[in-house]
Amino acid sequence: MRLLNSLEFMNNENAKSDYMLLFRGTSWDKKLSSEQVQKIVTDWKAWFEGLLNDGRAIGGHPLKDEGKIVSGKQRTVADGPFAESKEAIGGYFYLKVSGMDEAIEIAKQCPGLDYGLEVEVRPVAEMCMVRNRALQSGVMKEDLVEALV
Amino acid sequence: MNTDQNSLENSGNDFMLLFRGGQWYDGLSPEEIQQVMARTIRWFENLQAEGVVKRGHPLGETGKTVFGSKRGGVVDGPYAESKEAIGGYLLISAKDFDAAVEIARSFPKLDYGVAIEVRPILDECPDLKNAKLRSSLAAA
Repeated sequence: MRLLNSLEFMNNENAKSDYMLLFRGTSWDKKLSSEQVQKIVTDWKAWFEGLLNDGRAIGGHPLKDEGKIVSGKQRTVADGPFAESKEAIGGYFYLKVSGMDEAIEIAKQCPGLDYGLEVEVRPVAEMCMVRNRALQSGVMKEDLVEALV
Repeated sequence: MNTDQNSLENSGNDFMLLFRGGQWYDGLSPEEIQQVMARTIRWFENLQAEGVVKRGHPLGETGKTVFGSKRGGVVDGPYAESKEAIGGYLLISAKDFDAAVEIARSFPKLDYGVAIEVRPILDECPDLKNAKLRSSLAAA
C-alpha cells in the first residue's frame, strides 16, 4: 500500500502538482505582419517570465519546426511532424500549480489563442497509467510493482 | 526522475521525445505487459545512468484543450485512445540530432505501436526568427 498512500499524499490540497502545457499549431503567424508577430512573441516572453518569477512555471521551450518520427518494429525514421500544421506542437511550458483549474487559467492567458493556436493542458503523472490500472485491477501483484518502481 | 529546475535549461543539444499512442498493451497478456514494462524501465534507467535524461514523465490521461480568441473554449481531450495522443515525454541531452534519433530507436515499446516524435529544443521562438527574416527581406 505504500505506493497508493504516497499517491494520496500527492493529491493533498496544499500540494503543488505538475502540469504540462503543449502549444499546438505552427502556422498561426503566416497571415500576420512581422510587427504583429514580434508583438505577440514579446507578449509571450513577458507572460512566460511572469510565470517563472512567481514560481508557477519552472521551464519551457519552443521546439524546432523540423523533427523525426520513429516508429514500428523496423525502427523506421520519417520526417515529421510537418511544419505549418494545426496539430503540430510548437513548444511547451512546465507548470507547478494547485491543480487543473489553475493550469487552465494560465493556458487561457496564452497570447496565441487569438490567432488560432490551441493549448493542451496535461497533468504530469508520477506513475505509468497502465501500471496504475494493472495494479488497481489486480492484474499485477503489488510486490512486483514495487520492484519495478 | 525529478530533478531541479536548472535541468530544464537548454544545454545546447537538448531534444524532446514525445511518445504517441498509449494503447500499446491492447491484445497483450498480463505477463507480456509486465515484460514490456520491465524492459521499458530498464531502458529508462540505463539512459539515466548514462546522464542522458534531463526530465521525463508519463502524462495523465485526463487533459483539456484551451482554444479560441474569447478564451472561453475548454474541451476535454485529447483522448488517450487516439494513436496521436501524447502519452509521455522525455527531455534528453544528446551529442546531436542523429544520436537523439538512435536513442528513440532503442525504445522497447516501438514493437507495440508506440511512435516517438524527436524534436530539437530551441532557445528562440522560430516564429520570431521568421518574422525577423521576413522584415529583413522586405527591407532589402
